[in-house]
Amino acid sequence: MHAPLQTAYRKTFALVVLVALLAVIALAAISLGSISIAPSRVIDVLLGVDGAKQLDFARDALVITQIRIPRLLLGAVVGAGLAVAGAVMQGLFRNPLADPGLIGVSSGAGFAAAVAIVLGGQIVSGAAANFPFIFLPVAAFCGALGSTLMLYVVASRGGRTSMAVMLLAGIAFGALAGAGIGWLSYISDDRQLRDLTFWSMGGLGGATWGKVGIVLPMILPSLIAMPFLAHGLNAMALGEAEAFHLGVNVQRLKSAAILLVSIAVGASVACSGMIGFVGIIVPHLLRLSVGANYRFLLPASALLGATLLVGADIIARTIVAPSELPIGIITATIGAPFFIWLLLRRGPELAV
Amino acid sequence: MKAISLSAVLALLCLALTPFAASAEPGNSSGAGTAQASVKPRIVAAGGVVTEIVYALGHSDLLVGVDTTSLFPESALKEKANVGYVRALSSEGLLSLNPSMIVAIESAGPPDVLKTVEGAGVEIVRVPEVSTPAGITEKIKEIAGLVGDVDKGAALAADTEKQFKSVDRLREKIHKPRRALFILSFLNGRATVGGEGTSADGIIALAGLQNSASMLKGWKPISDEALLEVAPDVIIAMNHGGPQAVTVDSILANPAFAATPAGKTKSILVFDGGYLLGFGPRTPDAARDLLLAAYPEIAKAEQGSDHK
Amino acid sequence: MTELLAVRDVSFQIGNRRLLDQVSFTAEAGSVIAIVGPNGAGKSTLLRMLSGEPKPTGGAVSISGELLSSIPQRRLAAKRAVMLQNSRVVFPFTAFEVVRLGAEGVGAGLSQADRDRIAVSALAEADAASFAERGFLTLSGGEQQRVSFARALAQLSAGQTLEADRILMLDEPIASLDIRHQLALLHHTRKLAHEERILGIVVLHDLALAHTFADRILVLQEGRLAASATRAEPLSRAAVEDIFGVSILGESCAGTPWRSFDHGTSPIEPMATFPAAIKLA
Repeated sequence: MHAPLQTAYRKTFALVVLVALLAVIALAAISLGSISIAPSRVIDVLLGVDGAKQLDFARDALVITQIRIPRLLLGAVVGAGLAVAGAVMQGLFRNPLADPGLIGVSSGAGFAAAVAIVLGGQIVSGAAANFPFIFLPVAAFCGALGSTLMLYVVASRGGRTSMAVMLLAGIAFGALAGAGIGWLSYISDDRQLRDLTFWSMGGLGGATWGKVGIVLPMILPSLIAMPFLAHGLNAMALGEAEAFHLGVNVQRLKSAAILLVSIAVGASVACSGMIGFVGIIVPHLLRLSVGANYRFLLPASALLGATLLVGADIIARTIVAPSELPIGIITATIGAPFFIWLLLRRGPELAV
Repeated sequence: MKAISLSAVLALLCLALTPFAASAEPGNSSGAGTAQASVKPRIVAAGGVVTEIVYALGHSDLLVGVDTTSLFPESALKEKANVGYVRALSSEGLLSLNPSMIVAIESAGPPDVLKTVEGAGVEIVRVPEVSTPAGITEKIKEIAGLVGDVDKGAALAADTEKQFKSVDRLREKIHKPRRALFILSFLNGRATVGGEGTSADGIIALAGLQNSASMLKGWKPISDEALLEVAPDVIIAMNHGGPQAVTVDSILANPAFAATPAGKTKSILVFDGGYLLGFGPRTPDAARDLLLAAYPEIAKAEQGSDHK
Repeated sequence: MTELLAVRDVSFQIGNRRLLDQVSFTAEAGSVIAIVGPNGAGKSTLLRMLSGEPKPTGGAVSISGELLSSIPQRRLAAKRAVMLQNSRVVFPFTAFEVVRLGAEGVGAGLSQADRDRIAVSALAEADAASFAERGFLTLSGGEQQRVSFARALAQLSAGQTLEADRILMLDEPIASLDIRHQLALLHHTRKLAHEERILGIVVLHDLALAHTFADRILVLQEGRLAASATRAEPLSRAAVEDIFGVSILGESCAGTPWRSFDHGTSPIEPMATFPAAIKLA
């Protein structure tokens, strides 16, 4: 039969387009920034040409290899991780409105970050002024995982995890974490409050190869596990009972997915703060063009998520140069109106 | 029909680019930094007090960029490039200004950004944040050294010390210290006041006043009852301007405030916030102005003695 | 005739409500069993017990002599396919993709192309090929049911590579279908039973259809097996009146549409003369 084959070709073609788009954005990310670097210089640096004699070559090389490229990689990996996590969460909760934060990751990370920022100096002494910068990512990550674990335990009885209970518990926990953050804000000083605000708006500033080296192995597993989760998530879309009938080990799928998502999103939040919209919008956008089949949706989400975040970062660091906008602002400012436009145009197709 | 494995793509990309991770050696760049040792330094000021002191030393031409907390002088942010919030700087942004040195307060960051910039050959100098008169003169001398004008710095420092001493003398004239309350903001009738350990606390002490909010730590909202209990004689308010501007009338409109001794005597002093709270060369003036405003009898005596 | 399914004293209790109470019966490969009964009698519950999830609180189910609870999930997926009452698909899958899911991950030694072929022919058998590329959510209730049926067929097909004895479980599969498709679906089930020795278990409301297409009819009432009918011994009028709370008027008439039909192949004679009209007393 031709129809299934045609559809497959079309979807593979869409993936190829997405890869090309990512490549173009990546090149733009390397070439653009508050320092203007000529394209020829960019190429020279990438090719490893020895330009020690040329004017400003060393600086340009440093900017490209130590600033822009780590930032590009971090943005791509975080963007991919968030988008895939969003798609997976939507499949697990069987709800197009699900986003990675539903399993408590954002609330837990936010609360832990607030603790690190406001109370950190009191917990461990020394270098108090810069303490939060060092301890913060670790705290945020632990907070993300800790809260997910807690929600998972609350929602699981007799070896079975109820997504509905997890959702409700997540809402309650989110309120509690919010209260905790409010309390910490109350006792914080001006500087700590400012720090907390900036952190919660997200940013890829300060990306280094070291950071990339830490975050990549945390997000990569979820990206690698994609093909294995695809069938299970597809089956879940028919219903949990139906998935069981089709031979999917639903409990194992839930546990594995929750674990991978919490690590990936926890790592993202820990190093880049809260970046919203990528997790919800990207899978939705793609379902309209690539279809709902997770075999294509997951890799497509990874590619588009990476592209979007890197693109948003280019804007974040050029629009008010030499200053920088928090990236969460960009994703929300562009994401929200676009999402509304999308709903107005194609709403009935998306909603159930 | 196998979907393209993104992880493979990423892994390849990383492999291809790792040579670059090692290639950039810090301190190897023969660019802007060392070559301009004999030329005028290009300085980025990260911290409002740094900017203020550089301008006071008359060497603002050396500044190529300032941060968002550099509110004095007003011309600073208007004529110089804005590098963003002092604790959220951008490495490429800083480098794009081609600085030779970044003079930063202790809390400037993030540390990774400053480390990267340092690796590009830019000198990073940290200025300690101390809000005492001695600390201010130290800051002045240190920054003067960095801009290469030690003499001017010594002069400014000496002048500042002299001014502090004259404020000390004024303080001796106080018979009975008055109680002051420093209001940071006043939204919806709820005042945020400066408690113990705040910069408000510091300037209040310099002006010979007692901080009536000393039972609070940091900047905190104060309840109406606590307000009546602490009974300040003088209320100091910050002038932000705009629709949320704190005015004498808006404060007196609140019955709790109106019932305090300060309210009854209408002893409400409105000042520019940066003037009072930034601990820099203007601080002695700020302390004097605050003192004279809070103790009008001393002000009158001074005027009288001036006329002699 | 080999005994394929054995249900022994199966009970299901939640709190102090007994949804099923000591139900026992056996079924053979190559036959069709209809499960009927008043609303809330436990028909769907029984079917779910047979599908493996949830597990009964009392008694046991065995398939080909093996305890159902001990059969690994993957093998079970090859042994039985289930079509549930309401489909709750939440994302914009196409009808083809939904059917294709039935063929995915089930059975062994099948290539992707093989599975595609299985899905395509399942769609044709369920007369759903004409809207295969349309979004599942955009289909009418009846069209969705046909697609779900096709999915179950696809799963059975794929399962054939691993298991010879298979069971098709259908929970009210014709609720939204028009007459033609109702008959077609039940006829196809019967054909599978005859030609591929599949055991079909169908929950139905329509007694006439049950009598037309099933080899055995099991009547549930308040969780208990209240009556049972076969070709040799059909349901008595008294049993129907008692269990369903209706009053039967008149006798059957010759030539009523329920007695026989022509579906393009040889007509299937109903197993008993069945009353033409049933009215509430």
